[in-house]
Amino acid sequence: MMKKTISLITAALLSAVSLGGCTQQTMPDADHPVTLTMWHVYGSQTKSPLNDTVDIFNETIGRETGVTINVVSVTSSSAIDKALAAAAKGEPSADHLPDLFTAYPRVAEIVGTDNLLCWSDYFSEEELALYREEFLAEGRFDNDLLMLPIAKSSEALFLNRTLFDRFAADTGASTEDLATFAGFFETANLYYKWSDGLNFTQINDFYNYAYIGMKSYDSELIIQGKLNLNDPAFASIWEPLSKAAIYGGICLDDGYAASRWKTGEIISNIGSTADILYQPEMVFYPDNTTESITSAALPYPTFHTEQPAVVHRGGGLFAVKSEDDRKNYAAYIFAKWLTQPENNLPFVTSAGYLPVTDAAFSALFADTSIAEKESCRDLYDMMSHMLQSHTLHALPLYSNASQLQSRFEQNVKLVLKTTHNRYIERVSAGEDPQALLQELAAASLAELKQLSEKDM
Amino acid sequence: MKILKYFAFPSLVHQLRTEGLSMRRRFTFYVFSIICLFAAVILILLNLFGILNPADRQIMNDLDARLTTCSERVEHDCDELAACAISFAGQLEHSIQDHLTANGKRFADLKNDPEALNALQSKLYDSVYLNMQVAPASGAFYLLNTTANSQSETTLYSGIYLKYINLCSENTVNNDFSMYRGSFSTGKEKGITFHSGWKNESSTAFFETCDTVFSDGTYFALSPVVEIPDTWERARYIYVPIRDYNDTIIGVCGFEITDLLFQLTYQATESPWGSEIYGLLNEHNGTCSGQFSSGRYNRTDSSLQLKKEKNSCLFDFGTENCVGLTSEILLGKETFTVAVMLPKAQYDRFLRKGQLHFILIFLIAAILAAICCTVLSQKYVSPILKKIEQVKARENDGRQLHIREIDDLFAFLEEKDTAYEQQLTELEQAKAFAEEEARKAKEEYEKASAKYDLAKSEIDRLAEKHKEEIVPEDYQFFVENLGTLTPAEYRVYELYLSGKTAKQIAEILHITENTLKYHNRNIYSKLGISSRKQLLRFAALKQHIDGKEDWT
Repeated sequence: MMKKTISLITAALLSAVSLGGCTQQTMPDADHPVTLTMWHVYGSQTKSPLNDTVDIFNETIGRETGVTINVVSVTSSSAIDKALAAAAKGEPSADHLPDLFTAYPRVAEIVGTDNLLCWSDYFSEEELALYREEFLAEGRFDNDLLMLPIAKSSEALFLNRTLFDRFAADTGASTEDLATFAGFFETANLYYKWSDGLNFTQINDFYNYAYIGMKSYDSELIIQGKLNLNDPAFASIWEPLSKAAIYGGICLDDGYAASRWKTGEIISNIGSTADILYQPEMVFYPDNTTESITSAALPYPTFHTEQPAVVHRGGGLFAVKSEDDRKNYAAYIFAKWLTQPENNLPFVTSAGYLPVTDAAFSALFADTSIAEKESCRDLYDMMSHMLQSHTLHALPLYSNASQLQSRFEQNVKLVLKTTHNRYIERVSAGEDPQALLQELAAASLAELKQLSEKDM
Repeated sequence: MKILKYFAFPSLVHQLRTEGLSMRRRFTFYVFSIICLFAAVILILLNLFGILNPADRQIMNDLDARLTTCSERVEHDCDELAACAISFAGQLEHSIQDHLTANGKRFADLKNDPEALNALQSKLYDSVYLNMQVAPASGAFYLLNTTANSQSETTLYSGIYLKYINLCSENTVNNDFSMYRGSFSTGKEKGITFHSGWKNESSTAFFETCDTVFSDGTYFALSPVVEIPDTWERARYIYVPIRDYNDTIIGVCGFEITDLLFQLTYQATESPWGSEIYGLLNEHNGTCSGQFSSGRYNRTDSSLQLKKEKNSCLFDFGTENCVGLTSEILLGKETFTVAVMLPKAQYDRFLRKGQLHFILIFLIAAILAAICCTVLSQKYVSPILKKIEQVKARENDGRQLHIREIDDLFAFLEEKDTAYEQQLTELEQAKAFAEEEARKAKEEYEKASAKYDLAKSEIDRLAEKHKEEIVPEDYQFFVENLGTLTPAEYRVYELYLSGKTAKQIAEILHITENTLKYHNRNIYSKLGISSRKQLLRFAALKQHIDGKEDWT
């Protein structure tokens, strides 16, 4: 009996001592806190609504559950793509991959799908059923949900109303002209002429323009991972664009549209609804004088009225898979909290984004006054109508999508900018502008196809 | 449970002092006490020599080491950045002077002349860009005490301010940058991205305090943390004056250190106690604000109360407390506080853990002591007890315990046992003899008793016979007057009754025959008798009657 007791005590002691160091916590808690680093794109340089939301999380549920989100980079999606690629490849001076990052689905290929956390391993089916299915679908890779939607945007036409009204008063232009791309490009050229050589607008993503344009003509821009530029539909959408750009109505430089708004270089742009966050309230002139301006958000122009369409854009939240399951759980805790309507709505409505759950989506469009800022309320009122008339399309995901998209943007700008310079030169030399425009538009398409074929 | 019973110390000590304890319990008690005492002494010695540090001391030692390293690093980094800023200022002074000379202008001529200022910016741009690339900073700037538009409502300063835009690492080699302040034409000319909070000129500069800050030859100044206008960021600035050939301060230049850069440069170190937080603080009457290595504390509203205690400091953030250490360093001519800290909840958890370890070690020692006691008791005391039991039961198997003293003791006890056995045999024989003798004596006694009973019955018969011969009234008189005898007469009476002769009585009482006769007469007269024979008969009868009454 005594021997048995001693054996039991010894065994218990040995187990306690040896297993004491082996036990591993799988859930974070206040006594075993976890800090997750995060790179995101919600805010860039001016304001960061997500940082404010993260602060609230850290102070409330984060403190209770032992999860701290440490935002170490707020930057643009292209910069995140670049930094993620450098980190994934282990380039010299590259930083380590963060625990969480927001990006477009295209980065999954860059980072490696095996390195990313599958959200559906942590979210239950009931929890995922609360999200808008079209937003979830974008984040699925071979049935693995790697990108969780936290905020989505669409595209809209932003207008410097103050300067446009001045231009309209002189020329008779109207915002109604901007409802279609045909009217939009005509207005751009009219402004170029009226302003003595200033661009009317900047199209942030020519790829999106081409993608929606092809959809409107019942065709596809991308077929089997390749650009479908030989389709007659592409020629149809290229012609008005190229003519406006070659003439000078469209800005073809890189950089943010918001900066050009500030200096009056452009008075409109087509871009993400989240651009509302960066819309300046003033224009600065070279002599250091300023002028207050008002802005307006207009629906995405249509190609022809039968099938208006627009992309829904905006990336989602990725988590880098960790061997420490506490980090994976911590990512889940944060992602779930961030997408709950009561937390998601204040975040998305402060920056012109769309919420990601059905409940929040319905709540916002039932009462757009949820948005605090007046400019955002106007934007949601406009979007409410646009979402009824326009079909939302997600950008397609395919192998090498990121590079192809980036190369397409560069090629379009390069071809159109070169052709614009050629046009100015030849018009100065006395050639007929209209005939030249027609000729150069066709030439630019051929040149674009040539460049694109080289890339493939 | 047995073990628990064994360790009921108070009752054990009480028993030890009063009743005494069994060998096994006494042995266990002493061994257990010695091992526990030994463990306690070892723990105390380890603690005294610093080998076994309590958690709080270990944490503070660690924080102290980190504080020293961190303070030295902050001083070094600041010194390096100041050196870059001084070099930067030298380049700018030289370029400005060259530009003004080449254009035949004075510095005052630049005011309200956008073209001249743009041209100057264009010339100075490369210096700003190159110095930003060289310096460990998140941005670089120069601001001159002049403007392109002096009619503006706010005072504006012309200059270039470049900022990195996608900082995610301490290393800034691969980072893009943007123009945060500077003329639009310069930005366009240089083909750089404009910051989304871009403006032509800056409304914030350091000229208000420049004269006092740099009047005594101070090389550089480090600003408090300020919010960067039109951004979500906060930063400190390290800045130096730009002077003209008259040594008049015409501007400042320097570098920006955002919270994020500070955070990336002084990344929170993972220590055994969790994530340590570093801070560079400006302290004023116990209220601090500054930059921290954890983004969680780098907030616009993150001022804290610093309470200095005996061996540590308490950092009260309002919603959260931290524990740590501080040291003061001189940067420029201002004193700054370098802090190293841990969240208090984390610190308290490790203290509790340390205490738990201490208790656990002692508990393990106690359990091991108990096991040792049990094992030793089994190996050492049990054989002895078993041997004793064997000796008691006389079943000694003859095996030795190999404990010399105990084996000798048992040999001695065995010899003694043999001797006692022999004595016992003798005593038993004596007992048997005595019992035989007693049996015989008993038989003799029984025979004598039978004879006695026979004689007694004869006496009774005779007494009954004499009784019939005695006159009851005479006997009654005799009995009633027996008490009237004097002591001397009664003594004589008794001696007659015992069968003594007159002569023997005279000799026994040392009296003469006449005295005896005198007593006889009195006795006869008082008792109403006439002869000695009658006296003896009455006396015998009385004895017989008295004996019967006694029997009844």
